[in-house]
Amino acid sequence: MSTNAPESGDWLAAARERVRVFADYDHAFEEQADVVVVGSGPCGAVAAYELAAAGHDVILLEEGPPFTVRDFELDGNLSMTRTMREGGLRMTRGTTMPTMQAVALGGGSLVNSAICVRPPDSVFNRWATNFDLTRTDRAHLDPHFDAISEFLGIAPTPDEVQGRRNLLFREGCDAMGVSSEPISRNVKGCRGSGECFTGCRSRAKQSMDVSYIPAALRAGARVLSSLQVQQIRRSGRRVTGVSGQVVAPFSHGAKRGLSHRFRIDAKAVVLAAGCTATPILLQHSDDLANASGQVGANLQFHPGVAIAGVFPELVDPAFGATQGYQSLAFLDEGFKLETLWAPPPLISIRFPGLGEDLQARFAEMPNMAVFDAIASANRSLGRVKKRFRSLTPTLEWRLHPEDAAILRRALHVIAQILFAAGAEKILPGVTGLPDTMSRVEDAAILDSEAVQPGNLVMGGNHVFCTTRMHGDPTQGVVDEDGRCHDLENLYIADTGIFPQCPSVNPMLTGMALARRQALALSERL
Amino acid sequence: MRDLDSSALQGNGHAAAAWVHGLPLQGKGGRQPVRLRYPCSVLSGFILFLGLVALTVVVYRRAFSGYVRSPAGLAILHRGEAAFVEAVAEVLFPAGAGLAVPGVDAQLPHYIDRHLAALPRSQRAQIRLLFAAVEHLTLFVPGNEPGRRRRFSSLTAASRISILERLAEHPNGLLRLLFTALRSVFVLGYLGHPANLQGLGLAPFDIGTAVSDAELLFPRVGGLLSSIAFDEADRTSPEAEAPLDPQGPRHRAYAHAERTTRGRNLVDRRKRSRV
Repeated sequence: MSTNAPESGDWLAAARERVRVFADYDHAFEEQADVVVVGSGPCGAVAAYELAAAGHDVILLEEGPPFTVRDFELDGNLSMTRTMREGGLRMTRGTTMPTMQAVALGGGSLVNSAICVRPPDSVFNRWATNFDLTRTDRAHLDPHFDAISEFLGIAPTPDEVQGRRNLLFREGCDAMGVSSEPISRNVKGCRGSGECFTGCRSRAKQSMDVSYIPAALRAGARVLSSLQVQQIRRSGRRVTGVSGQVVAPFSHGAKRGLSHRFRIDAKAVVLAAGCTATPILLQHSDDLANASGQVGANLQFHPGVAIAGVFPELVDPAFGATQGYQSLAFLDEGFKLETLWAPPPLISIRFPGLGEDLQARFAEMPNMAVFDAIASANRSLGRVKKRFRSLTPTLEWRLHPEDAAILRRALHVIAQILFAAGAEKILPGVTGLPDTMSRVEDAAILDSEAVQPGNLVMGGNHVFCTTRMHGDPTQGVVDEDGRCHDLENLYIADTGIFPQCPSVNPMLTGMALARRQALALSERL
Repeated sequence: MRDLDSSALQGNGHAAAAWVHGLPLQGKGGRQPVRLRYPCSVLSGFILFLGLVALTVVVYRRAFSGYVRSPAGLAILHRGEAAFVEAVAEVLFPAGAGLAVPGVDAQLPHYIDRHLAALPRSQRAQIRLLFAAVEHLTLFVPGNEPGRRRRFSSLTAASRISILERLAEHPNGLLRLLFTALRSVFVLGYLGHPANLQGLGLAPFDIGTAVSDAELLFPRVGGLLSSIAFDEADRTSPEAEAPLDPQGPRHRAYAHAERTTRGRNLVDRRKRSRV
C-alpha cells in the first residue's frame, strides 16, 4: 500500500476523525479498543498498522505531538529541544555519554537518518545460541524485512544525492581495499538536503508520520497524540488497559504541562515506548512483568565515535544524504563504519580550541567530511532505573575496556580511510591527543593504550535489551512473539526486546520483529 | 542582664547565643558561674555584626552587583548572566577571525535565552549553574591581573582568555569538562547564527513547502484539526523533484541574515574610517 498515492473517496475526512491532538482534549475521557499501542515510533507504528489492517480496533498513543513541515526547526540545537527527551541533553551515568530518544509522532524515525540494514546471520546465530531463541533468524524474519522494505521503498542511496562527502568515504575505502556500499534507507525521492536529523522538509524520508501511521489511520486505527501513559492497569495475569494524562507539547513532562486524565481499556496492550521508557512504565506499574528481574537490566548501546577530515578541495558538506555510505567490512571485529553529517553547530562542538583557533576550524568546515563508527558493545552493560515520582529514567552504563579497545581500533581505521581519501589533516577529537594529525603514521596512536576509555568522546543513540527476549522465562522479559512471560496479553515491541545489540542500525530489525509480533497477536485476539 | 541557668543552656546553640551576648554560664548546682572561654561584650558583638555586614556587602558587590542593564527581550537570563554570556562570546569568538559575525554581535544572550526557555527545568538549571560557576570561579582563582579577584565578566579580555585556556587544558578532567560544556553551549548559538552558516556555505537549502500525509492529517503543533490548511489537491511528491544543486539557493532567512550583516559591517567600517 503506497501512502503517497492519492486515493479516491473521502478517506481524508474519515482519517481526520480518528486523529486527536493536544487542542482537542478539554476534559477527562475513557476509550475502549481491542489493542492499545503505546508509542508511535517505527515498532509501534508497524504494530498498529498490521493490527488495524487485520481488522482490529486499534488505538495508537503518542506522548509527543505530530510535526508538520512548518514545525521543523532548522537550528539543530533548538530542534533537539523540541523533539528529544530532556531537551536532547540526556546523558548516561557511569561512563558519561549523550544519548537521545525522540518524543514526537513517528518517534525516532522523524529525526533519524533513515538507515535500514538487515543484521548478518552471525548476529541471529548468536542470539539463538545464547538466548534460547528458535524462530528469530534471517529465514524467519526475511519475509517481514521484505514486507517492510517494500512498504517503505527501502533502497540504496543513489549516487546523485550522495554528495562529495559520502563519495569520499567510498574513495577512501576503495583505496584501502575495504568493501563499502551505499546505505539503504526508507526514503523516496531524496534531494540531498542533509537535514534528516531536524526533519525532512522534502518529506522524502518515509518516517512513520508519513508512512505507517497514515496507513494505520486508513485501516481504521485511531491516533491519539499528546497523551502520557503513566500506568498499565492489571487484573491477575492480564492487563486491562492503560491510564495517564494529557501532556502539553514541549513541556517535557513537567507537572505544569499535565492536564486531563484518560483511561483506555483494551483486550491487549503493546508497549512500544522505547527502550528507556518502556521499562520505566513497567516499574511504575507495580514492577509489572518483572518476575525475571530483567526489566531495566542489560542496557546496551552502540557507542559511536567520529573523526572529521579536512580536505584540500571544497567538499560542500551541506549537500548530500545525511548518512549515505557505509562499510560492513569490520562487523566481525565489532564495529560498523558510516559517513555522517548533522547540523554544522552540532558537528562543531567537538572542535578543539578557542578564539581564533576555534574559528579557523569553523572556516574549514566547507572542506570537511565526517566518518563515524558504531561498536557492538555487548560487554558494556547498564541499567534503566526509575526516579521517585518521575517517568524520566536514570541511565547507568559503563564502557567495558574490551569495547573501548574496539572503539580505538575503529578510530584508527576511520583515520586511515580519511587519509586514503585524500584528507590533509584530521581532527580526532580524543581528549589528551593532539588536536590535529597530518600524517597517517601519526594516527596509529589512536589504537594504543594512550587512549583511555575516559578520553573517548562518544555518543550512544541506539539503545537495547532493557526488556530482553529470552526463551527462558527466568532469564528474559518477553518470548519470541514479544509477549511478556508473566502476563497473557501484554506485549513489548521496541528495541528493548533485542537480546543483544544487533551490530547494525536497529530500526529495520525492530520493525520486522514488531510485524511478526503483531501478526501473532492478531491471531490470538 | 540576667544570668542563665545551666539547665537552660543545652547544646551548642545556646552556648553560641550566650557567647554572642556575653552571658556567663553557671556550673552545676547554680552556684559557680562558668565563664566562657571567649566572652565578648555587646560592643564586640556589634563589631562582629558590622564585620559580617561589610563582608556581605563586599561579596555582594564582587559577585552580584554592578552589572549593566541586560539586552531587552530576555525571558530567562538575568543581567548578570547576560553580561557573562557577552563576556565569554567576546573572547571565544573574537572579531576579524574570518566568520561573518563576531561573538559580540551574534546575539548570543538572546539565542541562549531561547535555548534555556525550551529546555526542561533541570537541564536549564544545570546550564545556569555552569554559568554561575565560571562567572564566580575567578573570585577564588584570580585571572592574570595581579591582586585583583573579580568575577569573570569584569576581567579584561586577556584575563578571560587566560582563564578559559587554563580550564581547557586543566589536568583535572572535571574542570576540562566544565570548559567543554560551556563552549558547547556557545558554539551552538554562534555557528548556528544564520549569517555565519550562510557565509560558510552551510546554510539549509531553499526548499519549497512539501505536503505529505502528515500535513494533510495533522495540524501544526498546538493547533486544532480544523486549522489544517491543506487538502488532497495540495499534495506534493518528492520523487518528482530533482536533487538539489549544491550551489543552489539557501533558505531565505539565512540569505537575508548574511545580506543584513554584510550591510551593517560595511556601515561599521565606514564609521570607523571616518573616525
